[in-house]
Amino acid sequence: MSIAIQASTRTDDGPLLELEGVRTHFQTPRGVVRAVDGVSLTLERGRALGIVGESGSGKTILSRSIMGLLPTRGTIRQGSIRFEGREIGGLSRRAMRDVWGKEMAMIFQDPMTSLNPLMKIGAQIAEPLRIHLDMSRSDAWATAERLMNDVRIPAAGRRLRQYPHELSGGMRQRIMIAIAMACGPTLLLADEPTTALDVTVQAQILDLLGEQRRDRNMSLLLVTHDLGVVAGHTDDIGVMYGGKLVEMAPTAELFANMKMPYTEALLQSIPKLADPSHTRLNVIAGRPPDLVNPPVGCRFSPRCPYAQDRCREEEPPLIPTVEDPRHTYACWYPVGSPAYHETKARRQREAEVAA
Amino acid sequence: MTTALASSTHGAAEVKSARKARHMGWMFGTAWLVVLSFCALFANQLPFIRTYDAKVRVAGQAKQYGFGPGWTAWLGTDNSSHDVFARCIYGARQTLFIGIGATIIGLTVGGLLGVLGGYYRGWVDRAISIIVDCLLAMPALLLALLLIQRTDQIKETITALGWLTRTEEITITLGILAIAPFARIVRAQTLGLRERDFVLAARSLGAKSQRVIWREIMPNLVPAMVTVAVTGLGILIAAEGTLAFLGLGVARPQTWGTMIDAARDDLSKAWWATIFPCLFLFLTVLSFNFIGDHLARKFDIREAAV
Amino acid sequence: MRYFLQRMLQFAVVFFLVTFGVMIFMRIGMNKPGDPARTMLGGFVTDQKAAAVNKQYHLNDNVFVQYFYWLAKMFRGDFGISVQQNITVANYMKGRVLVTFFLGFYSLLWALIIAVPVAVYQAYRRDSNFDRAGNLFSFLFVSLPALVLAPVIIQLFVIRWAWFPRISEKVMPWQSLSGHFKNFFLPVVVLTLPLAAIFARLLRADIVQTLQSDFITLASAKGVPPSRVLWTHALRNSLFSLLSSVGVQLGALVGGALVVEQYFSMKGMGALLLTSILSKDLFVVQSVTAIVVAVVSVANLLIDLTYAFIDPRIRHARALT
Repeated sequence: MSIAIQASTRTDDGPLLELEGVRTHFQTPRGVVRAVDGVSLTLERGRALGIVGESGSGKTILSRSIMGLLPTRGTIRQGSIRFEGREIGGLSRRAMRDVWGKEMAMIFQDPMTSLNPLMKIGAQIAEPLRIHLDMSRSDAWATAERLMNDVRIPAAGRRLRQYPHELSGGMRQRIMIAIAMACGPTLLLADEPTTALDVTVQAQILDLLGEQRRDRNMSLLLVTHDLGVVAGHTDDIGVMYGGKLVEMAPTAELFANMKMPYTEALLQSIPKLADPSHTRLNVIAGRPPDLVNPPVGCRFSPRCPYAQDRCREEEPPLIPTVEDPRHTYACWYPVGSPAYHETKARRQREAEVAA
Repeated sequence: MTTALASSTHGAAEVKSARKARHMGWMFGTAWLVVLSFCALFANQLPFIRTYDAKVRVAGQAKQYGFGPGWTAWLGTDNSSHDVFARCIYGARQTLFIGIGATIIGLTVGGLLGVLGGYYRGWVDRAISIIVDCLLAMPALLLALLLIQRTDQIKETITALGWLTRTEEITITLGILAIAPFARIVRAQTLGLRERDFVLAARSLGAKSQRVIWREIMPNLVPAMVTVAVTGLGILIAAEGTLAFLGLGVARPQTWGTMIDAARDDLSKAWWATIFPCLFLFLTVLSFNFIGDHLARKFDIREAAV
Repeated sequence: MRYFLQRMLQFAVVFFLVTFGVMIFMRIGMNKPGDPARTMLGGFVTDQKAAAVNKQYHLNDNVFVQYFYWLAKMFRGDFGISVQQNITVANYMKGRVLVTFFLGFYSLLWALIIAVPVAVYQAYRRDSNFDRAGNLFSFLFVSLPALVLAPVIIQLFVIRWAWFPRISEKVMPWQSLSGHFKNFFLPVVVLTLPLAAIFARLLRADIVQTLQSDFITLASAKGVPPSRVLWTHALRNSLFSLLSSVGVQLGALVGGALVVEQYFSMKGMGALLLTSILSKDLFVVQSVTAIVVAVVSVANLLIDLTYAFIDPRIRHARALT
């Protein structure tokens, strides 16, 4: 089937981003790694979507796939990615260059290594402005200074002429945000934007991201391994496991009514303030699935405490819940189902007997 | 609706064939060196190699450059009608001996200096660094010329050294050249190892410096040392050739450099007498480079400029 | 700044040690006063002549005094005399410095002109046919020292096809530009090819590594065209090995020049050095070695400064210490 590339008709109706059956596989000496294996989702304008999962769940590759920033060699991409109503999944890097930085921007995990060490901060912020908006050098630098003020960098005028190594990690992440904001993109992809930062700085950066998003009516795709990070900063949350989306819901709905045992396990692995000290942290036993030979059936079944035979044989489809059609999950025996309670009660008895 | 999008699979094949190409290089290098060493070691026994002094006569007469490359003398004959092929094989023996000897000298002395400097830091390091800097400040060939040119005087002055043959003198001179680069690389490696956890652990347990150096650091230096030794061997063989070319070589048995020097003025008369020793030298240096590259990849050592 | 002073000091120490070492070394075996003059003049000289030379150059004093006199003269631009040729060292070198300078300059320049674009494109199209061909050629040329490459080139281009004259007269560009290039072409090719191969290999490896950095991905994500990503972002961040290698190869180039000048019968500094070392022309050896060491060291100092200029981290780290 040929891919019709529609002219950039920026209509304000319709979702900003639609993924359908996106697959990204890599050929490696070990075999084909199914890093992203059939993900469909929709992101509306101005909304924030959090993608949560352990490392190796495919969440980073998913964000890179949307961006089209993948190694060209040995990469197999399938599925449809529609952005602003046009198909971008099959575009070459050359064609994507007009999208990158201008309509779609990305923030990386490690601000220490993501800025060019030999270039002045100002030049790095000005670069996309000069390329996409044809600004003159002085205009671009003036805009860069304004952007730095926007992301609350003190003494922006002076910082403009500094090099990355002269700035702290938090400052550099602010610079990264300023670079991403520069050309006013409609979609911002943030890949673990706070993981490399101090806890106190994390909250500031997240607040800044949220504020910029609202001011500019931008959509945000926030990729993280930390449910706590997305909780207060996104409208919807998607949970990924083994290259697949296993649960997706509006944030409040997800926390109130989670269906996947995996989501539950993720939540339980976050330490809570209310816990007495020396409470043992809940860890999810086992390791993330091998994406070359993924488990048959539900991919979480080998690690799932509630898994039944069916889970190990048949892959559960992503289905909406009865209460809220926006809440979808992929599980045969979801949290709250009779089978779930039964298993849980049995586990508890066993634990008591053992004790 | 699912659209099949771009899928590029040729990339993996490219990576694979590039890996194969590198593998070919290393196979070639090993094969050449094995065959060459075998011939050189058993030159006296192998029937197809003439003896060092055998003359290939034209109608009973020894004739300057009597034969070009052909069936009688595979690679032709030289200006005193010796078989160039046989001379090249005997030359390999001499050249490899000098190269390996020089590498061992350079590696022992340079390695020791490098480990000491890198491990003890402080004034030891500074003193060693000055020596190394001085050796490196002089262009290597200039240093070698000065050293060899003065060996006669040195032997007269220090009579204890009188037993050294010409071959050994050249080996030692080239070994001295190799000291500084080896010392520098080993020092850098030691500096890195010194801060590694297992070394710190040993030191914090109160192990003596000597023990730490021999038991913890040295074994971990081996891959890097082997790699630079192989690459260095190629460079030293080329350096030996260059010295011989400048008239400071071993007269008997000839090395490849000496052969090139002897025949180069007659290039227009008998190209084979110059070009074939050149080819032997080239293939050998190439082999060492291939193998050195293979080892560097295998041990994950960043190439250091020797 | 302090770093620069430190390097200057280091340079001075090395310079004095090396030049003094060379002098001592050249005097080995000359135990009796007056020996140096006799050695230089060759066996059969009158005692008066030897005495005169001894006196003029303080060769009867101890080595430290000799060294001091020699050094003082060096700084005044008096490099001593070539006793063999019976001319001053300065005059002896005069016509020859330029020959070697052009050899070295052209070789270095061409090596960089060839190596940089090749390495950049190789790294960009890694594992492509171009990259593999490039790798193979760099392996081949790295293994072709002047000693081996020169006779092959002479055999082909001078003897077989006679495109170039065998003997290279020293033709200066202001005398005849075409003659100048014709004479320097083959010797420069011999020196350039291995040099370009070394540079290309180092630079390619560094760029390949740099291209895997996050900031390169970010640059692409900003919509920066690949050419700019390569030439501005990646290349500048990958110059370290190349620059240090240029410093190292300068010394090697002196050796290469020596061989090439022999093969092509050029009258350059290499030929001069060889003759004077072999004939124990003391002052020539001392002075020329000193000049070569100084030139190579200063060039390396400049390379260091260049790197500090490129990389602000080095600049700033050094400003702090």
